[in-house]
Amino acid sequence: MFAIACTAIAALAFLVLTVHSHTRFPELSNADAITPEVVSGQRVWHRYNCVNCHTLFGEGSYYAPDLTKIAQLRGDAYLTAYMRDPSQFYDEQIHRRLMPRQDLSDQEIADLIAFLEWVSNVDTQGWPPRPILVTTGLSAPAAAEQPGVTRVPVRPVTPEDDPIAAGENLFRNVAPPCQACHSTQPGVNMAGPSLAGLASRAAEIIASPDYTGDATDVEGYIRESIVAPSAYLLPGAMYSAGGMSFMPNTYADTLSEEQIDDLVAYLMSFR
Amino acid sequence: MRYKSQAVAYWYFAVAMVLFGLQIVFGLLSAAKYLGPDPLLYILPFDVTKVIHTNLLIVWVLLGFMGATYWLVPEESRTELHSVKLAYVQLVLFTVMGVTAVIGYLFRYGTGNKLLEQPLPHKLAIVATMLIFLYNIGMTIKKAGRFTVTEGVLVLGLAASAVLYLPALLHFDNYTVSIFYRWWTIHLWVEGVWMMIMGAFLAYLLIRLSGVDREVMEKWLYVIVGLVFIAGILGTAHHYYWVGVPSYWLPIGGFFSALEPLALVGMAAYAYFALRRAGLSHPNKLALHWTIGSAVFAMFGAGLLGLAHTWPSVNRWTHGTLITAMHGHSAFYGAYAMIVLAMITYALPSLTRSRIPGESYVGYAAFWLQIAGMFGMTMSFATAGVAQVYLERIVGLGYLDTQLKIQVHFLMLILTASIFAIGVGLFIYDFFRRVPRIEAASDEQEITVPSGGADKLVPGTAFTERGA
Repeated sequence: MFAIACTAIAALAFLVLTVHSHTRFPELSNADAITPEVVSGQRVWHRYNCVNCHTLFGEGSYYAPDLTKIAQLRGDAYLTAYMRDPSQFYDEQIHRRLMPRQDLSDQEIADLIAFLEWVSNVDTQGWPPRPILVTTGLSAPAAAEQPGVTRVPVRPVTPEDDPIAAGENLFRNVAPPCQACHSTQPGVNMAGPSLAGLASRAAEIIASPDYTGDATDVEGYIRESIVAPSAYLLPGAMYSAGGMSFMPNTYADTLSEEQIDDLVAYLMSFR
Repeated sequence: MRYKSQAVAYWYFAVAMVLFGLQIVFGLLSAAKYLGPDPLLYILPFDVTKVIHTNLLIVWVLLGFMGATYWLVPEESRTELHSVKLAYVQLVLFTVMGVTAVIGYLFRYGTGNKLLEQPLPHKLAIVATMLIFLYNIGMTIKKAGRFTVTEGVLVLGLAASAVLYLPALLHFDNYTVSIFYRWWTIHLWVEGVWMMIMGAFLAYLLIRLSGVDREVMEKWLYVIVGLVFIAGILGTAHHYYWVGVPSYWLPIGGFFSALEPLALVGMAAYAYFALRRAGLSHPNKLALHWTIGSAVFAMFGAGLLGLAHTWPSVNRWTHGTLITAMHGHSAFYGAYAMIVLAMITYALPSLTRSRIPGESYVGYAAFWLQIAGMFGMTMSFATAGVAQVYLERIVGLGYLDTQLKIQVHFLMLILTASIFAIGVGLFIYDFFRRVPRIEAASDEQEITVPSGGADKLVPGTAFTERGA
């Protein structure tokens, strides 16, 4: 009797909370942002059985990375190119795992990205607590061949701190964070090229006849790379397509002048 | 067997065993892909081997439940089944559904909704199967007039499973809402009504295998079922932590799901004390191994390992990692696979005619290899998962880099899974090397066994229970 009563009470509580949750779903899940493209994108997600390799909201399979926040870590152009042919971005011999090409149409890819963008904005009560990155470049062979190269730790900064320290903090904390695509280790190319030795390389680039941008010095080049990434494109199908860099071009709008100055100061510090 | 219609259980078990073997093949394939690279990347990618692995599991375990019910109900209600023909129709329908769904997955024909990938026509076939089943069992019990508590719990569990399958048919454009209702089927099945089914089979087996009083067992069954639901209904919220639903589900889920292990501790304790108090009265010791084994392994895999990652403060870091796989494999195996194998081991000597004794060396080897293999797999997933949580989630190493660093655990997984697979193979071999029996044995019939056991009575038949 006790068991039946408790079951009934628990069931009732559960139902009441379910009803209440329904009143909160639209706000927590940004239901008004569910456009027809987002709905189509969800269908693409289901049709291609994505959840049986990947997780979304941490649910799914553990054979491929979680994609809850991927639309915040990678720009549209990158994701589009990636979905067209993942083998351009990862090497099965190095990573021992590769996403098979799904042969999606461009419309399907666009819709899927719309869906993933919607997913990335759902209020997940602060999950994941730290960004879940696809790669931090440690599997690249070059890193292993560079003894003595240490990773720079991050500490909290205040406005009184050295701009280089502030820039380093921004490197990891802007949206999307630079470190999601760029490594500062020599030879480690991830979604974006390695930034090791950037200052020296920048000098060579602006001096070469291939340079298509407007910078006249290293500092100007680095600034231009942040605010107008397509001004000069590094060679490689994994970095750009159709004359447009995969690097998000939103930093000019989302970062203040002071923040860009700090980032430039930090990046200038890589000899 | 006492009733001729119980023979239908053999065919359910036979199909279940074939699908179990196939499930393990796809499991090994999936595990191998973790080591990579994958030569079958474009032929049988991971998402296909995995969906086939999980769907075969659900189909064979459900067939096991259905067969075991068709075995149990005639005996408990002391009557032949209402319709053997309907039982065969049900078997064919469900098997065709399962096999065609799996073939469909090879061609990516499915809903892509985790664990509920069955296309709509197949889902409807599942509903139809459940209705046929409940009707057949219901009519059997109704005409018999005898309805035990064990049966009641079992039938209620099965009927509730049928009802709770309905949320799986719903589709929502809002992925968060879709997740919310998906768990009404999945959680309330495996951490709710399926535990009633397991509890009922456990009670049935303990009553038959030990000398314990039916009334004592059935009273404890009520307590356990009560514990299951007190914890499990609101415990559904442990799937609602991070999916876009209100924050009050976090403390609710944390508190109630932490109580879920109590029911499993209850089951293991009840199994152990039944035996200690009343002793072993039945010659089929192998069936007893599976029975106690199921209760204990479920307490470990579902209870302990579930508790390990159910609190929000822990789950925040482990969510979506191999820690979940650690819990999932050991829990499902202990609670559901083992109880089906226990029922099969118990009924097999009656369902078949064979010179081989019910307890054979092969049977024991199958048991211990599976236990050892699954325990090893659980440890492999656990070590891989803990390392993954630390490197990928806490330190912030990338997913791919972390996977490379934990390769040794995947190697252990494949080795232990191979041991498990050998155990499964032996069980299946032991099953099929016996010829199915068609006639029921009478109460006083003595069948001498030429080799092996000295017991004269064929285990599984004509056993008078005390207090019945």
